[in-house]
Amino acid sequence: MRANSRIIATAMALVFAGAALLAQEARRGPRTVNAPPKPAGTTPRTADGHPDLTGVWNGLGDNLNGVPNQLANNGIVIESDTVAHDLHSGQAVTVFPRNTNRPLNNEQAERAASLLRRSGSNRPIYKPEYWDMVKYNDHNANEEDPSNNCMPAGIPRGAIPSYIAQYPNYVFFVYPGQGGLIATQTMYRMIPTDGRKHTPLQELDGSYTGESIAHWEGDTLVVDSWGFNSNTWFDQIGGYMHSENMHVIERLTRNGNTLTWTATVEDPDYLLEPWTTTPRVALLRPGAMLPESQPCSERDLAHVVTKEHH
Amino acid sequence: MRTRTAATLLLLALVSALAVQSAGAQAPDRARVLRAAADAVGMVRWSDIGAADVRLPGIDIVNTMELVGSGTSDMGGRLVKTDYHVALGYNPAAMRVEMTRTPEGGAAQHTIQTVRDTYAWDESQIGAGLVPGKGTATPMNAAVQERLLQLWTLPFGVLKGALFAGDKTTVSTEGGATVLTFPLTGQLAGITVKATLDARNLVTKVETRPDNPARANMAIEADYSDYADHAEVLTDIKTPGHIVRKQGGRTILDIQIKSWETNDPYLVFPVPPNVKTAATR
Repeated sequence: MRANSRIIATAMALVFAGAALLAQEARRGPRTVNAPPKPAGTTPRTADGHPDLTGVWNGLGDNLNGVPNQLANNGIVIESDTVAHDLHSGQAVTVFPRNTNRPLNNEQAERAASLLRRSGSNRPIYKPEYWDMVKYNDHNANEEDPSNNCMPAGIPRGAIPSYIAQYPNYVFFVYPGQGGLIATQTMYRMIPTDGRKHTPLQELDGSYTGESIAHWEGDTLVVDSWGFNSNTWFDQIGGYMHSENMHVIERLTRNGNTLTWTATVEDPDYLLEPWTTTPRVALLRPGAMLPESQPCSERDLAHVVTKEHH
Repeated sequence: MRTRTAATLLLLALVSALAVQSAGAQAPDRARVLRAAADAVGMVRWSDIGAADVRLPGIDIVNTMELVGSGTSDMGGRLVKTDYHVALGYNPAAMRVEMTRTPEGGAAQHTIQTVRDTYAWDESQIGAGLVPGKGTATPMNAAVQERLLQLWTLPFGVLKGALFAGDKTTVSTEGGATVLTFPLTGQLAGITVKATLDARNLVTKVETRPDNPARANMAIEADYSDYADHAEVLTDIKTPGHIVRKQGGRTILDIQIKSWETNDPYLVFPVPPNVKTAATR
């Protein structure tokens, strides 16, 4: 009897050890969903009681180098190997088992990425007289996208800053330049939170990041910007041009180790109604350092012979 | 007696097992056929391109499409020269059909017929009725079903519908060809779609049958052929190069495609305020 108990105990131990190993293996394995990261830990606060947004924010939710994140950012969330949905409309998207027998070559991968990034349903509604122009922009994005010519991405295209430093009277946002897939110039913003008002729009020379002021609404930092030039597009895809009358309201909310960002774009010259981005979620990277900003030097456009884009 | 009972029970068990096996065989067969058909037109892509530590499943990638073509269409019982321009989307379900029809010796007639979800309207110009003084949007709510049927009987609508119908989609073989049969839902409930695939798993024929014979206008037939990537921005999406639609055995549309783009992010279908108001009356 005691021998039997020992055998059972040993068998149970082996089963549990096996399960633990499998679980560990699963944790080490590749990520199979692209849903935004779940918050963990507590939200630190500054001496004045506001959530402390200071840190390097990057990774699963908003890494420009990872197409899956762009996909989530552009609206399709894959929750499991059988369930996906459009974040904006809630409409279910059919999921298929991964085909591992047919790797894509570079050209096919670019085409797939181009489609994937344009599959979400959240689109700004322009006045009808501009529909063809927006379509033309995206269709000819290789030549027309200002960012492809090493111009700053601007706001709100810059999305979640990679680094935030929070001080009592201002916040500092850093957007390092990116080479490779999406080349952009480094941008930074110094945004007062001291209660000051905007400079009248007529007195501002338009700039890439505009004039920003911020205030707290509960635990959400609200950044209000105007005074832009019209040299940027306001999302990564779509050819979404804007006028100098664009007004952008960004909302940043920290929850534990996650930062959720949305932006609402108002442009009475071009848009029929205000447009709000699909929420993007970034993960805090404790101890991470910003890498050197890569110089943006455009060398490819002269060799582009088709309209295919990424 | 006991032997007979045992034999009967064994037979029942065998029949049950066969039935379970048969049901089990139907599901993977349906999944395999639908996957093959979706792959054939390039609508399945996985989204972890460029990321080493991510292995995501594939998703149905097709949302918006824009096609341009020319040919003939029915106008008062006669086939007349037609320029055809369609913008469509599946999220939300919407379609804008712009046609310029020129009868021989007559003046060209330009129409824009739009549908989105439960709204249908005609536009005097693209986007009419959204900005005061910029064109007229005429509510056409009685046309919602007929217009949605055009959207859901295109090859991509058929595959999406068959996937959405799940267990209600059946796979059979007719004359050596694979046939998908499934019911439509929502605004198009009560209509059954029968789609025939060719040897390359491409949708080549679509027929619809309304449960209610009074809805004869919802019985259509469409033929799709000459599949290729017809986009200027190549996507590896295979779309038909030739569309023929028939009603009551008579051709009502025969179009050769010049271009067919997929996921153009700027195809939008906002419903004009007066169309929304008219729908609530």
